[in-house]
Amino acid sequence: MTSAVTVPRHGGTGGKTAVAARARQVVKAYGAGETEVLALDHVDVDIARGRFTAIMGPSGSGKSTLMHCLAGLDTVTGGQIYLDETEITGLKDKKLTRLRRDRIGFIFQAFNLLPTLTALENITLPMDIAGRKPDREWLDRVVETVGLAGRLKHRPTELSGGQQQRVAVARALAARPEIIFGDEPTGNLDSRAGAEVLGFLRRSVDELGQTIVMVTHDPVAASYADRVLYLADGRIVDEMERPTADAVLDRMKDFDARGRTS
Amino acid sequence: MTVFRTSLRNLLAHKGRMALSAVAVLLSVAFVSGTLVFTDTMNTTFDKLFAVTASDVTVSPREADPTDESPDTGRPESLPASVVAEVRGAKGVADAQGSVSSMGVTVVDRDNKNVGPTSGAPTIAVNWSPYELRSVELVEGHEPRGPTDVVVDRGTADKHGLELGTPLRTISADGDFTAAVSGIVEFKVTNPGATLVYFDTATAQRQLLGKEGLFTQVMVDGEPGVADTALKADVAAALGDGFKVQTAAEVADEGSEDLAGFLDVMKYAMLGFAGIAFLVGIFLIVNTFSMLVAQRTREIGLLRAIGSSRRQINRSVLVEAVLLGLIGSVAGVAAGVGLAVGLMKLMSSMGMELSTRDLTVAWTTPVVGLALGVLVTVLAAYVPARRAGKISPMAALRDAGTPADGRAGRVRAVIGLLLTLAGGGALWAATQADKAGTGSLWLGAGIVLSLLGFVVIGPVLAGGVVRVLGVVVLRVFGPVGRMAERNALRNPRRTGATGAALMIGLALVACLSVVGSSMVASATDELDRSVGADYIVQNQMGAPIVPQAQAAVEKVAGLDHVTEYRPVDVRITDPRGTTSKEWLAATEPSYPGDLRREVTSGDLAAAYAPGAMSVGSDYATGHGVKVGDTLTVAFAHGSTARLKVAAITADTGNVDNGAMYTNVTTAAAHLPAERMPASALLLASARDGQEEAAYASLKEALAPYPQYKVSNQADYKEDLKDQVGQLLNIVYGLLALAIVVAILGVVNTLALSVVERTREIGLMRAIGLSRRQLRRMIRLESVVIALFGALLGLGLGMGWGTAAQKLLALEGLGVLEIPWTTILTVFVGSAFVGLFAALVPAFRAGRMNVLNAIASE
Repeated sequence: MTSAVTVPRHGGTGGKTAVAARARQVVKAYGAGETEVLALDHVDVDIARGRFTAIMGPSGSGKSTLMHCLAGLDTVTGGQIYLDETEITGLKDKKLTRLRRDRIGFIFQAFNLLPTLTALENITLPMDIAGRKPDREWLDRVVETVGLAGRLKHRPTELSGGQQQRVAVARALAARPEIIFGDEPTGNLDSRAGAEVLGFLRRSVDELGQTIVMVTHDPVAASYADRVLYLADGRIVDEMERPTADAVLDRMKDFDARGRTS
Repeated sequence: MTVFRTSLRNLLAHKGRMALSAVAVLLSVAFVSGTLVFTDTMNTTFDKLFAVTASDVTVSPREADPTDESPDTGRPESLPASVVAEVRGAKGVADAQGSVSSMGVTVVDRDNKNVGPTSGAPTIAVNWSPYELRSVELVEGHEPRGPTDVVVDRGTADKHGLELGTPLRTISADGDFTAAVSGIVEFKVTNPGATLVYFDTATAQRQLLGKEGLFTQVMVDGEPGVADTALKADVAAALGDGFKVQTAAEVADEGSEDLAGFLDVMKYAMLGFAGIAFLVGIFLIVNTFSMLVAQRTREIGLLRAIGSSRRQINRSVLVEAVLLGLIGSVAGVAAGVGLAVGLMKLMSSMGMELSTRDLTVAWTTPVVGLALGVLVTVLAAYVPARRAGKISPMAALRDAGTPADGRAGRVRAVIGLLLTLAGGGALWAATQADKAGTGSLWLGAGIVLSLLGFVVIGPVLAGGVVRVLGVVVLRVFGPVGRMAERNALRNPRRTGATGAALMIGLALVACLSVVGSSMVASATDELDRSVGADYIVQNQMGAPIVPQAQAAVEKVAGLDHVTEYRPVDVRITDPRGTTSKEWLAATEPSYPGDLRREVTSGDLAAAYAPGAMSVGSDYATGHGVKVGDTLTVAFAHGSTARLKVAAITADTGNVDNGAMYTNVTTAAAHLPAERMPASALLLASARDGQEEAAYASLKEALAPYPQYKVSNQADYKEDLKDQVGQLLNIVYGLLALAIVVAILGVVNTLALSVVERTREIGLMRAIGLSRRQLRRMIRLESVVIALFGALLGLGLGMGWGTAAQKLLALEGLGVLEIPWTTILTVFVGSAFVGLFAALVPAFRAGRMNVLNAIASE
């Protein structure tokens, strides 16, 4: 079993540690006794700061569960999860909610936006909820980066699927979270719109120094990442640095073949 | 059958949501069937009572009105004892007994406390005779044997702690007398609250009728095999004219008829409120079905795609409505019986005793309840059902996460505006009407049209009103408030319908409170203008003042004068020769000072001169009478006089309208003393500077006569206000039913909205909305919907109330007063109603699992 724990490196992002989030021996079990199913089986993982990490794996491998646990959306059965130096396992709902609000950004596969709010209102929603004033300059930059300047007054229903996801990206970026989690953010988009959104994510890492974790099953999407983690049966089975779409695809075929013979 | 099965499954699948609609049906049906059961039970009670108390045939004096609790003289009509013998001699008569019965008495205990009921049922004094044993049973002590014995009924004895030997003072027109309780009787049937006292026959005759040898009725029993009608004919033939001869059935009918009037008023009032509850319930049902159909759009699309016809879809929704209506109505009928029992308990606490032994559920009650409940539910579900039928098979393919926003259409706006304008026009026409009859038609039409208009236009108004409310109320709450506002706005039709349900109840509250406070204000205004007397003495139920009480008042020190007021029945023949039945107000020359009346011609003081009188302007115009004309006045039981018209009073205002005044001495000259009516009330004024002292002495002087109340002007106004207030409280209590149903509607809408927005809620929670903020958001949405309904309802109601006041100005309701405190309280209260309605939906939303919520369809 390959360990996904990297040696801490100090660099890039000021005084903070190089690891934005880490999981230690994380277990997530569903059911009990004989019917117990381990969605996550003693997973150790470090998410490097300022990098774009993709989590891949076949359906039921536990990749979404891992992301949900890292993001404080789901509780774990065992082990610890840290966001920077804060242990989030065991936090009460109130603190978890505040943590998500202030330190984490989300991009879901679909239904990312509130239909009653305009694009701009959706973008600033986490800060509005927190009662914080958005940083005007940063907001303008984010909006420009994702190319939404002309559409800020539109309601989600007046935007295309790609535009909606770009609003979601902008929302995730706008609050300057320590880490952004994407749950198949391009899963519902055609390849062109998908490429656009992934391009923005890539640029936000390169130009804005954002940390991003993305769950996907699309090798092309994974190729935008700096590093790919492979999950199978609730365990991290492999990882790849600087992936290309072809290399990812080959590795996937590999797993499939192994899965079939074992 | 398949249709039925899908409907049943759908109903069961959404039982939580259906439950609230079922409760709305239940409440309305319960109110209807409860009213029916209650009135039927009352009828049964009284039928039994009349059946057991009546003899085969009853003979009474021709003028006697057995239901008149307070004859003008304070003494019932009587017939001589010789009549009993005459009846005994008639063909077919087995037995005849003279009976004495009077409702013109008050019975008080040692502490001068009235032991009889002070409202509703009467106090009845009767002579003890074997006839009484048909309805009662002596359970303690012995029958009355002499002038110091009195027997009372068990209910009264228990309520006032009377025991054998307790002295009771009986106050009648023939004076006070005291007797000790010698026995207690119990009723064989339910006694609905009357207090009964029994004396031996001689005492009863002396004290109740003025002298021995008189009876009020003769109770006649026929020989076996003689029909009541035949017996009646024979008795009538033997007696000749001058008597009223009735069979048992006729006596019972007469009693029931009198009661039926009262019962009908009550029945229709309560059914009216049930109707309002139904109306509000309709909104709830329409909303529920609309939302369920919207949520099920994809499912219905799929059914259509695989070949279900429009009719099948349509029918499946309607079958669901029938099932819902059935469940709600069955439960409603059952609850109605419970409600009736509750009402009976409530009536008991107010002095009207009813027994569950007599509980009557006619077969029509469940039939009416079920039919109404099912019919209303199906009617309400008809539009959503049609909409369901129109869903295209394509809906199955579309990704309809949340249903499309139902935009309030332009057609709706136009229709609503037209209806509202028509309603407004009709209301305006009502204010301009110069006849109450046509005016009330306009008013009715105006109320119905404007209500319809508001209901139709509600969703259109929702946009604007909610935005304004948002600025005023919600902005304080920042982004949470803004989201609540947007949520309330996203489906204006739903917000409109939910608010409209609340609107109806509150519009009626506002309208009635405006009319009520205008009534008080107008009466106060009129009292200030017209009443010169410092005090008024009267009985709450309109019984006349007994002479000994009047004497006590007249003896009070510090009074400038006491004015009596005796209503005398007369027949007046005008100069043209037309005779009509009228009554004269026989008062004293001090009266015009005590009650200022406007005079159109002549001098009111002159009407008190011997041989003079005044008439009202309506009579004067109707009969072509001018000042100086002479009228022929035939006094009932007295002689005929020719009286000169000295003044004509203006028939405006409410106080003493149309009264014809003459001097008491004039009336006395033409009436035998025992036929002189007692004073209906007394007016009195204090000498200057002695107002307070005289008021206290008056109260003290009347302490032995608790049936009379003395008020000064301030207290009188206060009483008036209290009376109107009490009446309004009863009406508000009944309207509370409609408001409860409306609150259920708000709960329902919110609950369904929360379910619809599960994913949104999940998303918001994921990106950091705390539970508290989420709950607050839902509560605020609820508050906004409630305030929207309140704003519309109160506005509409004040409009109705103002129009009603302008119309009733013709009847003397001259002053418009809008009770701003009430209106404001209701408005603020409705915000709390909103908070309350949101409790459960907000709690459930807060408890949702974030991940499941995001993942849900």
